[in-house]
Amino acid sequence: MDNQESPQRSPRSEAAKSTLPQPGRPVPSRAYPGALIVVEGTDGSGKSTQLYLLKRWLEIGGYRLHFTEWNSSPLVKSATRRGKQRRLLTPTTFSLLHAADFADRCERQIMPLLQADYLVLADRYVYTAFARDASRGCPPRWLRNLYRFAPIPDITFYFRAPLDVAVNRILSGRPKLKYYEAGMDLGLSYDRSESFRLFQARILEEYDKMVESDNFVVLDGTLPVNKLQKQMRDIVASKIDLKRFAPGVPDAE
Amino acid sequence: MPDQEKDKAATLAANAAAEPTSSPVSGPVAKTPTDEEAAQYFFGEPLVGFDPSEITGSLIVIEGMDGSGRSTQIALLQEWLESEGFAVQTSGLRRSNLVGQDIDQLLAKNAVTRLTLSLMYATDFFDQVEHRILPALRAGTVVLADRFIFTLIARGVVRGINRDYISGLYAMALRPHLTFWLNVRPETAFAREFKKAQAISYWEAGRDMSLSHDLYWSFIRYQTMIKREFEVMAKRHAFIELDGEASVSTVNKQLRQRIGERLGIRATKYAPSAALAHLWR
Repeated sequence: MDNQESPQRSPRSEAAKSTLPQPGRPVPSRAYPGALIVVEGTDGSGKSTQLYLLKRWLEIGGYRLHFTEWNSSPLVKSATRRGKQRRLLTPTTFSLLHAADFADRCERQIMPLLQADYLVLADRYVYTAFARDASRGCPPRWLRNLYRFAPIPDITFYFRAPLDVAVNRILSGRPKLKYYEAGMDLGLSYDRSESFRLFQARILEEYDKMVESDNFVVLDGTLPVNKLQKQMRDIVASKIDLKRFAPGVPDAE
Repeated sequence: MPDQEKDKAATLAANAAAEPTSSPVSGPVAKTPTDEEAAQYFFGEPLVGFDPSEITGSLIVIEGMDGSGRSTQIALLQEWLESEGFAVQTSGLRRSNLVGQDIDQLLAKNAVTRLTLSLMYATDFFDQVEHRILPALRAGTVVLADRFIFTLIARGVVRGINRDYISGLYAMALRPHLTFWLNVRPETAFAREFKKAQAISYWEAGRDMSLSHDLYWSFIRYQTMIKREFEVMAKRHAFIELDGEASVSTVNKQLRQRIGERLGIRATKYAPSAALAHLWR
């Protein structure tokens, strides 16, 4: 009878008492005091650079924040790596594995920190899965259900860059595209660059479909970096009460 | 369509040297089933890149709690079917090449939240569907599945995951041709499991749910909750419920009868070989 005193928390009582997201129920964005800012866009749209600069701005200002990245949970990493290396992944398992990764980060970082009144910055969010996995042929209804537990962002920045601009940024900077990154599993083309271009075109189309329905704030990814960053900071400052996240400053209300 | 296929074959040959590694998944080139087909062959959503009309085998699921006799029955059924000349493939939870081991590790470390674990199980399940079950069914094989989506749904629901959510997750699962539920009382299951290993595992007893500090009561309460979920699903999904308390040979006979009907095996007489005789009590 080892294990008598298990350190594990009880998921049941947790579900009953806390305001943690109930898997399967959409989380209204005001169910927690924190704020969630998300960047989305195709590879090469400039979103990561811009989020990095936003993060630096907020860090230097001393704001309470947490940064999280797509596909980065250590728990799921070995499985993803194995699946990619051995090319075991199909559209369905690719999607589920990324959902498991997101669920882990959501349950252990994003939600707890939103409850703890943090600004959470996410480089890619569920919309990446909606766009990518739908491009791979997963049923959109199924995908929307899969991520129903995700809190709805306060701001979703969508960095839109024309296909050629984005694709050329990636192709010029990367010696060799990876198999899944290039969408080789779709069998669109045996040329990696060409496959990547076709895959990105599909993803761009899927992103564009979500602009209205998911309240994307569309930014022009071809603008100079500093101009774009100014727009981004202005929008953040106007939509989010940043004072609340500043250190040592009591709430004005 | 045939022209497209030809084009594809030509490209394939031309590029064989450029891309020697495993071929891309048949993916979106396959025909997408209609909503009707999705309801007939799946639990509501079509599986990407898979044409259900290709199925010539039979998918037979055996569900039931730990200690209900599932694995014993599957071993016997496999021998019987093979002696009747049918090719058999088995599947079960956590057996995928993709994440089977990862789940074992997560369970051992006990450091995973319920939703992540559910999604890992779903990944494991669909990896087996796509790499083990479907290829077998396309080849006319009888697939004996030791547990299926129903256990996974029940486990999630009793841990507070929304029922619609988790059912939706498995909407792309194939509909089995036959689903048997070996129904036993949790008390019987406890005794059988304990006898087998002289211990009860942490997860079988639902210890993560803090139902009781007493191992026996934790097991009984947890398995009773699971059983209630099964009762709900049994009606909705036309389970064939068998009394798992009956003797191995009685249960096996009932299974052979129903499976025999499905596969057109007229005489369903069977006695296990010497290798399996120990199972036949």
